[in-house]
Amino acid sequence: METAGEVPAPPGQMNNTALRHKIREYARQQRKDLRTNTTDALRFGLGQIKDKIMELENLGIKDVQGMAGRIKRRKHADTKDMYRLSHAFLQGNDNINAFAEVQGATQVIIKELTGTHVQHQIEAAECLCNFSLGDAHVCEKITTMAGSYLVTLLNSQEPRLKRSCLWTLANIIATCSKSAKTLLQMQLATKLWKMYTTSSSDIDAYQEDTGICLYLIANHAASSITTEDRRHIARHLHMKQPTEPAADYYMFIVFQFEVVGLENNLCSAHFQHLLNYFMDNLKTNLSTSTGKLHIIYGVRVLANMFATRPLIGRLDSQADQLVSTLNQLFALGDAGLTMDLMQLLKNIVDAQSMDNDFLLKQICVYASPVIVNSC
Amino acid sequence: MNVETLPGLPLTKEQLNNILAGMSVGYIKPTDLRTTSPILPPFKKLGVLVDYDDIVEATTDSKSSTSKENKLNIKSTQAQDYSCIQCRRHLPTAHLLDLHITEQHDLYFAASVERGDKPRYSCYIEECVVKFNDPQERKDHCIKVHKFPPNYRFDQAKASKVHKCKNSSDMDVDVDNNVPLATESKLPYIKAFNFGHPTQRTFNTRKERGTGKALLDVQAMKDALNDMD
Repeated sequence: METAGEVPAPPGQMNNTALRHKIREYARQQRKDLRTNTTDALRFGLGQIKDKIMELENLGIKDVQGMAGRIKRRKHADTKDMYRLSHAFLQGNDNINAFAEVQGATQVIIKELTGTHVQHQIEAAECLCNFSLGDAHVCEKITTMAGSYLVTLLNSQEPRLKRSCLWTLANIIATCSKSAKTLLQMQLATKLWKMYTTSSSDIDAYQEDTGICLYLIANHAASSITTEDRRHIARHLHMKQPTEPAADYYMFIVFQFEVVGLENNLCSAHFQHLLNYFMDNLKTNLSTSTGKLHIIYGVRVLANMFATRPLIGRLDSQADQLVSTLNQLFALGDAGLTMDLMQLLKNIVDAQSMDNDFLLKQICVYASPVIVNSC
Repeated sequence: MNVETLPGLPLTKEQLNNILAGMSVGYIKPTDLRTTSPILPPFKKLGVLVDYDDIVEATTDSKSSTSKENKLNIKSTQAQDYSCIQCRRHLPTAHLLDLHITEQHDLYFAASVERGDKPRYSCYIEECVVKFNDPQERKDHCIKVHKFPPNYRFDQAKASKVHKCKNSSDMDVDVDNNVPLATESKLPYIKAFNFGHPTQRTFNTRKERGTGKALLDVQAMKDALNDMD
């Protein structure tokens, strides 16, 4: 009979130790990844860093000029140079202007951005992101010298580099419409749409950032969108799903780019997608700004869709859902929205794509001064 | 239009019909005044706060390759660039690497360019579908249409020039510069078989010497053919 003390060590003990070690290693790596992601998310506006961080190295114009001269002389910027420049740019617009005035200094950062060392590329992209906090002339300079590289690096496989490029582009587009126009000539809109509609894992999700970039283009430079870009977006309308991140920007982008225009021959599948997208993603909560954006521009897109009289076909099967959606929206009582809803209703009735008697009987429009005045 | 209703009450079908009859089918344009009011708050420009410790950590990690953890880190940063297996050139995107391999190392492409029946050179922008007859035409297109800088760093023509200069200096002979680069790369390198019994252990430098000789031979053959004409 065997006693408790004489029990031999189980044969899998060594394996257990190895397994434990492996799990510990994975946990450590995961902690590191999470820390990197958290660091990535630390973003500040111009001058905001001074209020947030007490122990900050105060960098002035002379420091920036010194650093710019140094990197220019050596034709190379190392990690510390780019780190200090990044911090200096965050501290004030004077520092940004001082760096922009030094001829040839920006080229050194761009050289690092286009180099072969990934870590230097990331640092250079982050440095340019902070540099883009400057005024329009600084953004124009970045666009002329590095715009093509920023757009090219959107296809990079390094997530941090990709994200920094997106942030830089967003800053540039928000600042200067001339730069936005130049970037659009580099087919930025098409590239952004591809990224916006590509579903990926949580870690590599760029939909939120690309959605913001497209929103800014739609807001500031929609007139500069080329016909090719518009056609590409029209062809790939169905690629975006309402459950994906940044879905609320979709209708605004579609409306501002005039994708549902008379010149774009969209097929019935595209219209069906737009209709479903709007109804599936409907949150009748006008308190959130992005939700409001989706509702208001969704109604406008649908109104235009029925106005263009496409080959929608009969929508009898969806009549109930559409009526319910419209009733919910009319019940909100928002003046601007009600005007657009009335336009949508008129266009639906005129398109004859469902039983109009049923529609008018079921729809619940509340009398308001807006309706009376609009007629 | 006379619609007599009390505010807050639902409209009847007839009332709604009357209101809709007074309206016209309309396409809402983005430039309409009522559509231009902003809904989202103005965009706030933001920079990135870089943590120096993280940068230093990443740099030291990539330099040393002893521990397993470091190996993982290298994998996550270094292994993700696109480099040509033949000439070790690093390129930032798959499209640029594809262009590089096709234009610099693909014999079929070189032959089809020589034939010149249709434009073969693709634009540096993946989304642009225009093709060109020669690299210079493409460069002009990129500068004029896409606003690229004239000294675009990932220009394939630049790479071929550097390659050409290197080769000419290595050969140390006066070779006709009009001979295209593709001809040089076309020459095959046949490795000697030894079946596991090499005659001597030495650095293999036959490739360079062999290439030079073969090229000289081709040149000589060309000269001879010209003489015959």
